[in-house]
Amino acid sequence: MVNQTITVKNKSGLHARPAVEFSKLAAKCKSNITVFFQEKRINPKSVLMIMAAAITCGSAITVECSGETEEEDLKILIEAIESGLGE
Amino acid sequence: MKEIHISRTASKGIAIGKAFIVEKISLEPDEYAVSASELVNETQKYDHAVSEAVKQLELLAEDNDIFGVHLEIVKDTVLTESVHNRILEQGMNVQQALNETAREWISMFKSMEDEYMRDRAADIKDICGRLMCSLKRINYNPFEGICEPVIIVAEDLTPSDTANLNLKYVLGFITQEGGITSHVSIIAKNIGLPSLVGAAGILESVVPEDLIVMDAKEGRIFIHPERSVIMKYTEKKRKLDRIKRELADKSMLPAVTSDGHKVSVYANIGSAEEAEALATFHVKGVGLLRSEFLYMENTHFPTEEEQFEAYKAVAYQLEEEITIRTLDIGGDKTLPYFEFEHEENPYLGWRAIRISLEKKDMFKTQLRALLRASIFGPIRIMFPMIIAIEELREAKEIVEECKNELRVGNIPFNEEIQVGMMVETPASVICANEFAKEADFFSIGTNDLTQYILAVDRGNKKVSSYYNSFHPAVIESIRRVIEAGHANEIKVGMCGEFASDEWAVKLLLGMGLDEFSMSVASIPFIKERIRNCSYQDAKMYADTYKKE
Repeated sequence: MVNQTITVKNKSGLHARPAVEFSKLAAKCKSNITVFFQEKRINPKSVLMIMAAAITCGSAITVECSGETEEEDLKILIEAIESGLGE
Repeated sequence: MKEIHISRTASKGIAIGKAFIVEKISLEPDEYAVSASELVNETQKYDHAVSEAVKQLELLAEDNDIFGVHLEIVKDTVLTESVHNRILEQGMNVQQALNETAREWISMFKSMEDEYMRDRAADIKDICGRLMCSLKRINYNPFEGICEPVIIVAEDLTPSDTANLNLKYVLGFITQEGGITSHVSIIAKNIGLPSLVGAAGILESVVPEDLIVMDAKEGRIFIHPERSVIMKYTEKKRKLDRIKRELADKSMLPAVTSDGHKVSVYANIGSAEEAEALATFHVKGVGLLRSEFLYMENTHFPTEEEQFEAYKAVAYQLEEEITIRTLDIGGDKTLPYFEFEHEENPYLGWRAIRISLEKKDMFKTQLRALLRASIFGPIRIMFPMIIAIEELREAKEIVEECKNELRVGNIPFNEEIQVGMMVETPASVICANEFAKEADFFSIGTNDLTQYILAVDRGNKKVSSYYNSFHPAVIESIRRVIEAGHANEIKVGMCGEFASDEWAVKLLLGMGLDEFSMSVASIPFIKERIRNCSYQDAKMYADTYKKE
């Protein structure tokens, strides 16, 4: 199991479009993925769950991956968040 | 005549026309019972509705990416499971199950603190409405029957609603619900239609075909207006339209000379509200945001949170630099809640950076707010009235101190934030080379610079005729500052009135000024002037001003 904490920089947080981008990427990954934000555990393969978490700009979130491809998956997800999820 | 006042404007402008009221159709679930053996069949009805919605949304997503988001949400397994479970475990029919699920998600989004997130409840409502229409086999276009330009009056408008709307026939929008980041607000702003949202009681006050005058800037709606009101607003609208047309025609084009030299033309603004209008005029950056508005229109020194919110609101609006000048008080500007000692010579007195460096807590409050807001847009910090390199260093050290505090508190900010200074004193001109090594950018404040160099108070009628930024001493100062900046690879801008002087454009361009910043109204004209210049010509022209 690997994890990394990152700050969300999208202006309106992980709202509609970035949430869609994130969930699409997460859905492609083979590992089990959990996002921790404040006290919440979020399954990022669901766009609704991401949006429901109300992750605003400047929030620190922790992405955790477990499974055979955990290293690559974590890297892909962290890089995507860092680059602003298409925004 | 009836008048309604609304405090929040989504998109400014005036519209005069007949009301078209969008009728809400009932999307209440039918109440029928489902026997245990048919429950699975009921879940399949939902799956079928989803696949229909997917087909519709795939088409709509081609034109508008909000539907791309809807598409993903409608396919979300969490949503599907939630509806399925209600059917299988609680024995609800599919419509009831969808209705309950929708209600749960909508209320969850509505309870969020962040306004933007809260407005996403409308997206969930829209998606579930689409599914419900499919389940109830309703094929409905709420705008059927519009055949002339109208003002759309609705409880709320969803993306799916407006996708059906022929915008050619829309003069403006008034909705009873919705916030300024709601879908209709964004659409209206993008296409430049007036729009008022959150107009409580509007649906009770209007019937179809009622004549309405709306002024979205003032937040006023007149229903059955008197003739004089119609006349007044018709005239006002005509004027606004003309100005808008002229500005729009010119301001779209970038400020590039005929031989391809590009400069930035930015706005000087004095409040967060002004920033909103900039996009309409194709202004991409701010060369000077006077932060005094936060202090002067207040009853106390603004708190870090108050300032943070204001800077953030501006940072959102712009793509390029947003130069925010730290408090420039003193001189002729005082505060209602702070007593300034009487000074014989306020312009040569305790003002601007001098106050900030002495009142360090107040300064740090501002710097922390600026740093925190810097993650929302390309904010630059600018210090006014610098005369000594030690002042610049001290101010920059305090910025570092604030950065450290934020790092310790795990509060994000832009590590690469630029910190620059105004060049508006003779001392800073003469020492420009030294300053350029430690500042990230310069902005020449020609109003104060001219006064200080010429020893002329332009507010004093007896000597104001001596005030002249074309004075060789002022021009030479500007040249030196630009050269010192470029020799040290930093950009040099100008935010004084001279930057918007149509007779100075060619000279400033030729001297190599990188950024012209001025009031929004001047921008289209100055940009046009720049486009009509050749950089080569301008350089030769500027050389004729050179002192031997």
